[in-house]
Amino acid sequence: MNGHDESRLDSIAVLAIGALPAAEARELEAHIASCSICQAEYAEFREAVDALALSAEATPEEFGGARCDLLKERVMNVVRTDAARANPAGEANVVSLEARRARTPWWIPAIAAAAVVIAAVSTWNAAVLRTRTDDLGHQVALLQAQVNTQESSANEARAQLALEQSHLADLVAPDAARFPISSGVVVRGDGRIVVALRRLPPPPSGKTYQAWILHRGAKAMTPSITFSPDPSGLALIELPGSAAGITTIAVSVEPIGGSKAPTSKPLFVRSLS
Amino acid sequence: MDDADRLMERVRQRDAAAFEVIYDRYWRLVYGIAFKMLGDANSAEDLTQAVFLKVWSAPQAFSGGNCAAWIARVTRNRALDVLRSRASHPEGAMAIDVPVEGALDEAVFARLDGLRVRSALESLPPEQRQPIELGFFGGLTHDEIARQSALPLGTVKTRIRAGLKRLRTSLEASTV
Repeated sequence: MNGHDESRLDSIAVLAIGALPAAEARELEAHIASCSICQAEYAEFREAVDALALSAEATPEEFGGARCDLLKERVMNVVRTDAARANPAGEANVVSLEARRARTPWWIPAIAAAAVVIAAVSTWNAAVLRTRTDDLGHQVALLQAQVNTQESSANEARAQLALEQSHLADLVAPDAARFPISSGVVVRGDGRIVVALRRLPPPPSGKTYQAWILHRGAKAMTPSITFSPDPSGLALIELPGSAAGITTIAVSVEPIGGSKAPTSKPLFVRSLS
Repeated sequence: MDDADRLMERVRQRDAAAFEVIYDRYWRLVYGIAFKMLGDANSAEDLTQAVFLKVWSAPQAFSGGNCAAWIARVTRNRALDVLRSRASHPEGAMAIDVPVEGALDEAVFARLDGLRVRSALESLPPEQRQPIELGFFGGLTHDEIARQSALPLGTVKTRIRAGLKRLRTSLEASTV
């Protein structure tokens, strides 16, 4: 395993572009972690691959100005609303995640969540969550090799893994509040809200689904994210921002790019109380 | 601490203005990768939104270094999730972050605008460019690339390696 093997170099290039099957990748990553020649080769390829992503950068002609503005406005509306609600130092979100990490080693809740998910989820979302679980297992293996090489380079992926784990944990957490709707469930837990919808038809041409939130004391719904179901009709979305003060969730069909206020009768309006 | 590091630090402090700078700087990259991988504008918009809201909600995931490369990796990984949910591709491996000696730094990366990289990519022989694009943007495994191209697996792997080496050389020459 530890000796350098020239025959692996082609596979290292395949790994760098993310085209190596998972089992082969795990074996090769373990080798890379212990072989300086292969590490250097992999690093060289990763530079090229990082740059490769830039070739896809959209030109202005490839993205209409109006839609570009709508997309930005939608994202910035969510961000500004969340920023306004955050404390000035913005410590709540960061501390929450750090505290969660500090309590236990990062890989323990990931593995625990995977086991809990497999046991607890209902039939209709089991396939998707199982895929997530497989991803988590794969991530764990990747991170293990990475941590062996350099702890600092593992931080980014570790944080993402923790987030994915916490996202799944929201759905199955025993202390999460669940609010059934006709086509799924709204789950509030750990300061966040996850909406899971099943048998959702594709939105009509030129339309998309959009979530709406109502804050306590507010008279009008605030636009949240837009989304589309996967081909099986499943949509699993985490609403951005804190769940604090949100009293009602709704979803409606809106024009592509989203709307500032609902323009169609909502699929559902669910009070979180 | 470079400019991107400073901006991301401000995003961690819930600074919406800093986030807007990040958005303006990278949305074309995120949307472009999403569109190229998913193939339709609606999915690309949804993914772009999801990526940037993830950047906002989890800025601590950025541990420094090349911000554009990080955002591109986040985008590609999210797009791969969508592709895998559309069709049951065998799971390809996400690339690991082995420490890079003499890596392309942010300043060099900044000079590598999309058109220049696209030009370098298009300068590759088609037999090298196609398997790289199928793997990186198409989310196919090397076995699937070999089947689709009707080539032996070994040939596909050799061409990917030769293409990446050639691409890197070309990019280095273009930034001198």
